[in-house]
Amino acid sequence: MGGRFCAFSFVDRITGLDAGAGARGRFLIPAHLPRFPSPLVCEAVGQLAAWVAMAKLDFRRRPVAGLAGEIEFLQDANPGQVLNLEVNVESCDEDAIAYEGCAHVNGTPVIKLSRIVGPVLPMTDFDSPAAVRNDFETLVGEGAAGARLESLPELDLTPLERVPGKSLRAGLRIPADAPFFSDHFPLRPVFPGTLLLEAEMRLACDLAADALGGPPGASVTVIRTQDSKIRSFIDPGQTVEIRVVIAQPQGDEAMATIVALLNGKSVATGRMAVGLRKGP
Amino acid sequence: MQQQITKEEVMAVYPTVAKILADALGCDVERVKLDASLIEDLDAESIDFLDLVFRLERAFKVKIPRGKIVEDARGELAESDFEQQGVLTDVGLKRLREFLSEVPAERFRSPMKAADIPRLFTPETFCKVVIRAQRAAPAGT
Repeated sequence: MGGRFCAFSFVDRITGLDAGAGARGRFLIPAHLPRFPSPLVCEAVGQLAAWVAMAKLDFRRRPVAGLAGEIEFLQDANPGQVLNLEVNVESCDEDAIAYEGCAHVNGTPVIKLSRIVGPVLPMTDFDSPAAVRNDFETLVGEGAAGARLESLPELDLTPLERVPGKSLRAGLRIPADAPFFSDHFPLRPVFPGTLLLEAEMRLACDLAADALGGPPGASVTVIRTQDSKIRSFIDPGQTVEIRVVIAQPQGDEAMATIVALLNGKSVATGRMAVGLRKGP
Repeated sequence: MQQQITKEEVMAVYPTVAKILADALGCDVERVKLDASLIEDLDAESIDFLDLVFRLERAFKVKIPRGKIVEDARGELAESDFEQQGVLTDVGLKRLREFLSEVPAERFRSPMKAADIPRLFTPETFCKVVIRAQRAAPAGT
């Protein structure tokens, strides 16, 4: 099985389409996966919005990751569950898409995205318009085959420096080759912003664990992100330095400020509220 | 002919615009000088302009259509009179210099690609964008 429309595709079927304005869709999280990181739920919602935009723009242009005003992480989604996705497009033109969206599992919200903005770029820079149109027809028709995702992308994080409870630096080595690059995107491999977000979330939780304390065995989780921004593409083979600084906790939450650097230049920024995980 | 924007009007919105710019670019507000080039001096990327416009819209409760600066600079000129094959015409460049009067003259190049216009933008450019949007908003909004 090739990577295209498989290795980093998180919509199985578009179940409702309000042309240019919104959509509903679904994605069955393959049961064979060991877990399903929350940023990939964001990816699923974002991909549904991208389908709305690409169809509206007749597959001449496509959105890419840009800004996420706020993402609320409400609950985990697990292998074997069906994500029900929904997006409402505020605006979509030749330059940008603005939308909000959410994902539910069994009627319970797992993630909510607000004030999302993505730049819209020429499709031919990334993929074949005809092939993408064909994939869209599949999604609005009978749907794509389930369980196409064979494995989760691995993140190669190396600690560089740490001041417990205050700050850390880590290197994220982007592989020169990986299955997801053949899907994201076939003609222009780009490291997905949601994988960078996953790396940032892991580091923020790791650092916040020192600051938040909590009962023995308590784990920390990202509650929400704010103003996450991807400022430029990250290519295969590059190494990104991620810096996390955490503020003094307020109650049972602490705010982490993140910057990702490539050759000393900021390629992504954002903030995230991290807190002790509640419930089981 | 558009009504001139006074320095007083610019300075009235500048503190808020500067703070929004600093937030959007992740830099200290002290670095945001009125005549700084957002790209050359503050390392702004194209996504930062999108971010900035959305933040300004929320903060000032105005609507700023994307591409508004170039559209307003072109005014009633036909697109082919403003630029040809991606390069500004002499008339287009003259119009741009007049419209972006806040930008130091030496930053304009001749010939100049239309794609390079954002390199000229300064914090004052966006102060003026906000003021024009406020003027264009229906009364009471």
